[in-house]
Amino acid sequence: MSTLHLVRQSAFSRNDFEQCISVLAEQDSLVLMDDGCYNLKHPLMASLLKKDNNKVSIKVISTHAQARAVEVMAGISQITMADVVELTFNHNKVITWQ
Amino acid sequence: MTSIMQSETQPQLTDASTALGVAIINSKAPFNSNAGKDALDVALLFGSFEQKVSLFFQGDGVYQLIANQDGSLLAIKDYLKTFSAFEFYDIEDVYVCQQSLIERQLSKTFHIDNVQVLTNKAFAVALSKHKHVLRF
Repeated sequence: MSTLHLVRQSAFSRNDFEQCISVLAEQDSLVLMDDGCYNLKHPLMASLLKKDNNKVSIKVISTHAQARAVEVMAGISQITMADVVELTFNHNKVITWQ
Repeated sequence: MTSIMQSETQPQLTDASTALGVAIINSKAPFNSNAGKDALDVALLFGSFEQKVSLFFQGDGVYQLIANQDGSLLAIKDYLKTFSAFEFYDIEDVYVCQQSLIERQLSKTFHIDNVQVLTNKAFAVALSKHKHVLRF
């Protein structure tokens, strides 16, 4: 059972992202959108990327990051909203963290 | 909007250095809510009535000042561009919390000039000099 996680809030002011990370499974995908883009610079993201067994695919909506002047690191794929629609079909379920 | 207003009806002090007018604290990121736009409207309103306004940026509010943002990509009217009008409204005191910048790995490059980055303590001191505080 794979889950698509849509993270829409800044982890600097809410704990949604922390809760999301606590339930992440290997085959899941994580999409950062809206203020969730700020999480790229959050320590939680750094520790998630550092995990040896990290197989979670991490993506960000490119226009949302660009609008906020958030730099996207290598290893994070930049996608569009159209791609999100496709992702919803490729996963068994969707959780929106907002 | 959360407001902490002291409603004392004392005669206004003319010496701006001893008791400043209104402090506006911005604590929200720019695009997900209307808070930033509302704070801007209030600041410019006070400015047009020649009331002394100081702006404080704390927490996610610091994102409002970061350079190279482009709200038009989100089909949002980019109110951040209006920040450059502050000087015409005599809004000269813009303070940013240094700690908030560091936590968010942000550099001190802002899209407006005359921004003062303050340590936690200096930020608190600057805020305490104001008679009224509005937080968005």
